Amino acid sequence: MSYAHPEYLVETDWVAQHLNDPAVRIIESDEDPLLYAMGHIPGAVQVDWFTTLQHPLRRDFLTREQFEEVCSNLGIANDTTLVFYGDKSNWFACYALWLFQYYGHQNVKIMNGGRLKWELEKRPLVKDVPSYPKTTYRAKEPDKSIRAFRDEVLQQSNARRPLVDVRSPKEYTGELLHMPNYPQEGATRGGHIPNAVNIPWAMAVNEADSTFKSAEELRALYEGKGIKADEKVIAYCRIGERSSLTWFVLKYLLGYPNVKNYDGSWTEWGNLVDAPIEK
Amino acid sequence: MKLPPKLQEIVDDFAAMTREEKLETLIAYAETFPPLPEHLKDARSKMEPVPECMTLVFLFGERQPDGGILFHMDIPPQSPTVRGLATILANGLNGCQPEEILSVPADFFLPMNLHEAVSQQRLNGFAGVLMHMKNVARKMLEQKL
Repeated sequence: MSYAHPEYLVETDWVAQHLNDPAVRIIESDEDPLLYAMGHIPGAVQVDWFTTLQHPLRRDFLTREQFEEVCSNLGIANDTTLVFYGDKSNWFACYALWLFQYYGHQNVKIMNGGRLKWELEKRPLVKDVPSYPKTTYRAKEPDKSIRAFRDEVLQQSNARRPLVDVRSPKEYTGELLHMPNYPQEGATRGGHIPNAVNIPWAMAVNEADSTFKSAEELRALYEGKGIKADEKVIAYCRIGERSSLTWFVLKYLLGYPNVKNYDGSWTEWGNLVDAPIEK
Repeated sequence: MKLPPKLQEIVDDFAAMTREEKLETLIAYAETFPPLPEHLKDARSKMEPVPECMTLVFLFGERQPDGGILFHMDIPPQSPTVRGLATILANGLNGCQPEEILSVPADFFLPMNLHEAVSQQRLNGFAGVLMHMKNVARKMLEQKL
């Protein structure tokens, strides 16, 4: 059994062979935004989830026009193949890919294994920041079929339809309001959305080299918890970044047709007046 | 409240920097992050953990002959932002007396406008490092180390 949509994944070898391919733009997106400055894949540009992709005022992503400007400045054309990679098993790479898809960019891929695998293979990292000729990028209307908002999440929960809580077990049970070793902040209530099953995001990747687990292993993991392809699935975590990885796995590696990421996640739900919570 | 002079200097410098300059300075700090001295390698059990940070951070304070404290930190190279932020505190406070360290207000860094460059979670971690430096200083005073 192979991945349902293997075209959304490339290996480090493929990236090494396409470093100078003008049709390909390699994009680093990390949890720690300074990693790019310490050394990155030759020719790669950076997008940071916090300073590049968030709306400067509201809790939301950049507007369509702001997103167009970011892409234009990075020299990304509408038909450029984008390869995302990053630290922490590609958490934030998946988050960036999800957002680029939200604004309609079609040709996107994740580099399997991310920064860790590239480093383990002793491949080159450089500090030169490349610049590419500016483009005129045109984003599409937001694709709301991949993003869930709170009302839809409530309907999904009330209808006892599948929700995947990808946080650590202690966050799911409400013992912690954040992941272990991360600051206690963000939500006034602990627990999980009723009917959500707990499948921590990291169970989808191999710890040794950050690559995704095989299709067989992934299918057994999610189906074993009742998360199947025949229904709409909504994934969430604390702010929507860890669940982007699960969204990517369900949608592209297992081929589930209807998967949404709830980026409001626990920092919204755990503060929402009148929202049902289970512990 | 007067800050220790070196820390005050760093605060003033950052306050005058653009966002890009702040990031460049943090990068420079991360790049010059000192290696752990031999006797502290693999000695995390002897060190003070900082659970508020987004990565594993361990602190160790050494009392100098003049009574000042020299901080050593164990922070993985995969976390340059944390290394950079922690270096602000180490550069600003190394050599200070425990009482001086304890007198640094928890919100001393607000004028630096670090939120322009790093996320709020990281600032919580930064505040956490200071809090644990104070723990180290307090223990030294209590135990007359």
